[in-house]
Amino acid sequence: MANEIIEGILEGLRLIFTFDPEVWGVIEVSFRVSLTSTLLAALIALPIGSFIGLREFKGKKEVTNLINTFMGFPPVVMGLVIYLLLSRSGPFGVLGLLYSTSAMIIAQFLLAVPIIMGTAKAAIESVDPTLKETVLSLGANERQLWWELIKHSKKSIIAGFLVAFGQAISEVGAVMIVGGNIRWETRTFTTSIVLQTRMGEFGMAIALGVILITIAFIVNYGLTRLQTRVD
Amino acid sequence: MSTRKPLKQLISEHKTAVILALIIVVGGSIGTYFAIDYLNAQNPEKITLATTTSTYDSGLLDYLLPKFTEQTGIQIKVLSVGTGTAIQYGKDGNADVILVHSRSREDDFVNVSLGENGLPYGIHRACIMFNDFIIVGHETNPANLQSGDSITTVITKLRNAIDTGNMTFYSRGDDSGTHSKEKALWAGIGVVPATRWANQPDKYTETGQGMAATLLMTYEDVDAAHEGYTIVDRGTWLSFYEDYISLNILAESIVGEDLLLNPYGAIPVNPVLHPHVKFLSACRFVGFLTSPYGQTLINAYRKNNQILFHASFGTCNHNCSCSTTTDEITIWTPFQAEFADLIV
Repeated sequence: MANEIIEGILEGLRLIFTFDPEVWGVIEVSFRVSLTSTLLAALIALPIGSFIGLREFKGKKEVTNLINTFMGFPPVVMGLVIYLLLSRSGPFGVLGLLYSTSAMIIAQFLLAVPIIMGTAKAAIESVDPTLKETVLSLGANERQLWWELIKHSKKSIIAGFLVAFGQAISEVGAVMIVGGNIRWETRTFTTSIVLQTRMGEFGMAIALGVILITIAFIVNYGLTRLQTRVD
Repeated sequence: MSTRKPLKQLISEHKTAVILALIIVVGGSIGTYFAIDYLNAQNPEKITLATTTSTYDSGLLDYLLPKFTEQTGIQIKVLSVGTGTAIQYGKDGNADVILVHSRSREDDFVNVSLGENGLPYGIHRACIMFNDFIIVGHETNPANLQSGDSITTVITKLRNAIDTGNMTFYSRGDDSGTHSKEKALWAGIGVVPATRWANQPDKYTETGQGMAATLLMTYEDVDAAHEGYTIVDRGTWLSFYEDYISLNILAESIVGEDLLLNPYGAIPVNPVLHPHVKFLSACRFVGFLTSPYGQTLINAYRKNNQILFHASFGTCNHNCSCSTTTDEITIWTPFQAEFADLIV
């Protein structure tokens, strides 16, 4: 087994640097799907989440509970729900989106929204209340206060985005169900690793795992650098 | 920094325009994205095949499909799942054609009375190929299976060994073709495993996973108190047996017995029931598989220098005890014509 791991790592390096079209195709699909879904989710969840954090309103507790519940929504259940909705026998079957990257983006988008919303809300709420008072006493209106608070909690918001992206790219259940693991089209890192393991191609599976971890490390390192520079 | 300030000013001066532009760009690109996937789904040159893990994981389809695409220009998206799931995909209209191995359920799939609104789910089953199931286990063989045992004897010995706690049987438990076959074999001696050994999960284990994973679990179970046995299709076995050296074939079909035969059938999904399916392209694919060209390719496929599948179109009555009528064979003749001149 130890041999297999070393061989797998070497195989991984070989596949990356020889620009193996299959491996790079898998990388491309994974990133296209996970980045699109997380960015879209951020576009919608950030304003709403921070707004909830800013305002006090009736039923806020219930909304918070709901967001927190959905933050831990099991991805495989999301996959099942989207499958049933997009299936040809389901309500949105006519769109023909099942087994496409669109379906995968929809599933990952819905998984990412509560995570980004929840962290944005918590980030805004955790800002020191004296800052809020100071900004207001300087004559800021609500929109200006909101912007100030977002700027102040940038770090936590980026962290929330990272968590959502990390979950999206390492998620396997939902993309397997709605994407179908189709070669050249909807095969991602994770579904590819499942397939290679099933086929007994452990070398290839380890190779993909190593690539996934390396890429995750690089992305995180870059973003951490960005985060520290922000201050 | 000098270029940032004017940009910031520009944005703050035209807030509404910027927001509108953002919405249009984001909305437009998402719309285009979905539209491309939508159009792809309508493209008759792209069909979806729902099949079993044994045909895909063994590498057979990766070997066959490019040759079909080369001839016809039709691309095939493969969904590699268990037979039960593949049939469900066909019923829901999420696949254009299925290639599976569970004869009784294939017959149900094309049976008018079992379809929806008086329509069968699939049209015209074609026998494509076959291999066989074997029973594998460790050398010590606590169930004492002997070569030459009839399959009924083998299954009875396994039942007794499970009852006395000498072994563990690993069942797929996932509604796959292999699982269906296993249940049918138990049913042959009047045993329903799910109820009989319901409280003995360490004697009868449902893995709920694919064939390779189930083989691995059987291989890992060398505990002297309950050694692992499982049933596996020969194709998967030949792809993996070198990895699992301590496992051996302990029972296989003896001459004149066809209970362990494993025939694969292809069925296009009914276009009357699901108007969006690409019936013609699906039929061309079945035509390819059943043509002399496709059949020769199947016979020529090797993994680890072993034949994994035997072509059986037109000879299945003789080889796999099918009851295919002449009509069911000649119906594919027009679809085979375009592959007539191809040589392997």
